Amino acid sequence: MSASMINIQQISKKYATITALDAVTLEVHQQEFFGLLGPNGAGKTTLMNLLVGYHNPDSGTITIDGDNVTQDSLEIRKRIGFVPQSLALYDELTGQENLEVFGKMFDIPRKMLMEQIQEQLHAVELYDRRKDKTKTYSGGMKRRLNIIASLLHDPKVLLCDEPTVGVDPQSRNAIFEFLISLNKQGKTIIYTTHYMEEAERLCTRIGIIDHGKIIALGATDKLLEQLTYEETIAIIKNPSTEENKKIFEKYGALVEEDDHFELKPVKRFLLSEFFADIEKQGMQYSWIELHRPTLEALFLQLTGRRLRD
Amino acid sequence: MKQVYLLFMNSYLRFWKDKVSVLLTFIVPLVLMTIFGSIFSGSGSGPQGIRLAVLNQSSSPVAKQIESSLDTMKNFRVIKSFKNDSGKVITFDTLSIQEYVRTGKASAALILPPDAYSDTSIGLYVKFYYDPKNDIEMQTIRGLIQQVVFSQFPSIIAQSGLRQAEKFLGIQSGTAFNRDMASIVHKYFKIDTNLILHPKLSDFSIAGSDSGKNKSNFFQNVVRIEDQQLVGKEVKNPWATRSVGGWAMTFLLFTLTASSSSLFEERKSGVLLRLLTSPVSRVHILWSKYLFNMSLGIIQLLFMFFAGWAMFQVDIFSNFFNLLLIIIAASTACTAFGMLLAAFSQTRQQAQGLGTLFILSMSAIGGAWFPTNFMPATIQFFSKLTVVYWSMDGFLEVLWRGVGLISILPHLGILFGMGAIINFISIRQFKKGHIFD
Repeated sequence: MSASMINIQQISKKYATITALDAVTLEVHQQEFFGLLGPNGAGKTTLMNLLVGYHNPDSGTITIDGDNVTQDSLEIRKRIGFVPQSLALYDELTGQENLEVFGKMFDIPRKMLMEQIQEQLHAVELYDRRKDKTKTYSGGMKRRLNIIASLLHDPKVLLCDEPTVGVDPQSRNAIFEFLISLNKQGKTIIYTTHYMEEAERLCTRIGIIDHGKIIALGATDKLLEQLTYEETIAIIKNPSTEENKKIFEKYGALVEEDDHFELKPVKRFLLSEFFADIEKQGMQYSWIELHRPTLEALFLQLTGRRLRD
Repeated sequence: MKQVYLLFMNSYLRFWKDKVSVLLTFIVPLVLMTIFGSIFSGSGSGPQGIRLAVLNQSSSPVAKQIESSLDTMKNFRVIKSFKNDSGKVITFDTLSIQEYVRTGKASAALILPPDAYSDTSIGLYVKFYYDPKNDIEMQTIRGLIQQVVFSQFPSIIAQSGLRQAEKFLGIQSGTAFNRDMASIVHKYFKIDTNLILHPKLSDFSIAGSDSGKNKSNFFQNVVRIEDQQLVGKEVKNPWATRSVGGWAMTFLLFTLTASSSSLFEERKSGVLLRLLTSPVSRVHILWSKYLFNMSLGIIQLLFMFFAGWAMFQVDIFSNFFNLLLIIIAASTACTAFGMLLAAFSQTRQQAQGLGTLFILSMSAIGGAWFPTNFMPATIQFFSKLTVVYWSMDGFLEVLWRGVGLISILPHLGILFGMGAIINFISIRQFKKGHIFD
């Protein structure tokens, strides 16, 4: 296990009567790609705002790279890159001008800054559009610019707060590849999302947060071991499957969705045994699918709610 | 039809939920209507407390009557003495009263000289010294003074004339003489004989004095007002010189309010958050905004004064250093005002709605559009609490009167002081932090 890069100890934060974070303790290691997964309002953005020193916690401590983070600790921010959820760009400036404005805040020598800007623009394929005003950019282009604006000072830690909101699948993939390459170059990344697919694809370790508390923490495969079942079976609805649904209930809990049944097995069994049973009953089925266990399912099991409720 | 009704009601629902629209639709016009109404509708008591210096050197009852009439008028604050450098109260003489007007301590001065009126002469003679830094105010002062003079004069002059005739000719002959004289006056001046024998003020129109536009009427021939403009004679374009400051101030306030509320846009877009996650503190952001707005204000004011010079020959160069000082002070105070609005508002729309209300109100009561003396005493009190009043007065002192640094120190002190106090309040409010939440 590599050394700790981010150490969060017993952090709490309240806004008026709402407890946004409740005694959160978390450790993220150097060069780790850590995912913070939770529904909207779970406390992800609050935790990010505390990590970058935008707000001070009511109690608890945060250290990044060995130094305490507070609202007044400006030096430590040079080691952090923050990709906010919103497109934090000046629409009336060009892509390059935006990068210059934000890069200059970090006291980077001009020559080095210009080299960095060129390099990053090439990396996200925005170099040819660098002289266009950002208001003419597509959503995906703005998202990419939003990310590289946080990288000009070459931070050790990159904090991404839902950086792909509203992005088309193609751009999202490009962003994922870019973030993976950054992680491979040695950057520690914390990535918040409420899309389990993103967390599963990108992150080596995941924390699931709900109502300001970390309710599960660990490597994705280890987390999935907590599930009481390993996979689910989806059976499309038709008159025959609806008539014989009692057969499914022999194998586990049956959840009725709009267009299909979702069977969550409570015990191990052979699929051949399951198919033989329904064939024997003469059930007419057109589509049955086996689903791998997911973090979504884990969240549902832990909270009784879906991630996107 | 139902759809039209539903959409119609939806429009009202959304309008009512938008507090800024409600404010701009009802409150802003109501406030301005109140201010304008109190000045022009007659529901107020007219101009009040105009500083008028008076020196009565005549012992005649007519002069005393004019003096006492002026004393009782609410329109004027009559001043008859001044404090010298050692604090001693000294009654005006002909030189000191002119100096009093020249230095801006009174808008005008009226002197009733020793020979203002006598039993042996027919006619009234007064001296009027004035500073037309505000044209509307000066016209009003002239009108009011003429009203006082003429309202006292007709009966006295007539009675005096009749008395003189009767004294020399005896009652019977005197009456006949007066009738004959009235006929002669009627013949040559076309004035009704009945009017001459039984004069009333309302029968005559009030004449102007030095303008050369006086109508040929009876009073013009018997009342002599010797007037003299003490200040601003050399000003090339009096109208533009007076008004450029007012316009500049109104637009400056709009610019700075809009600029200060750009903080809301930066918050909404997330730029503020991004900046605050770089080595930038909240204090850095507020200072940069303040300095930017202040410099923008200075540039805008300079631009407007240069435009006044280029288009209307407003002389900005003969006292440019002092003009620049007032511009800096005004811009400092106005920027603080813009930041205050941003500090207390929750959204950009709210800041701009409140801004419109305060800017128009402050411009109206601060003297940017019409003289503050026209307003009720309470509003006059509040006008002195506005940035507009002190900026306007400062611009006039510099451009109209051409005063030096010492004379504008009070203006500079008050404007910088206002800026400091407003900034202090804004910073306290910003520290509570809703704009950075």
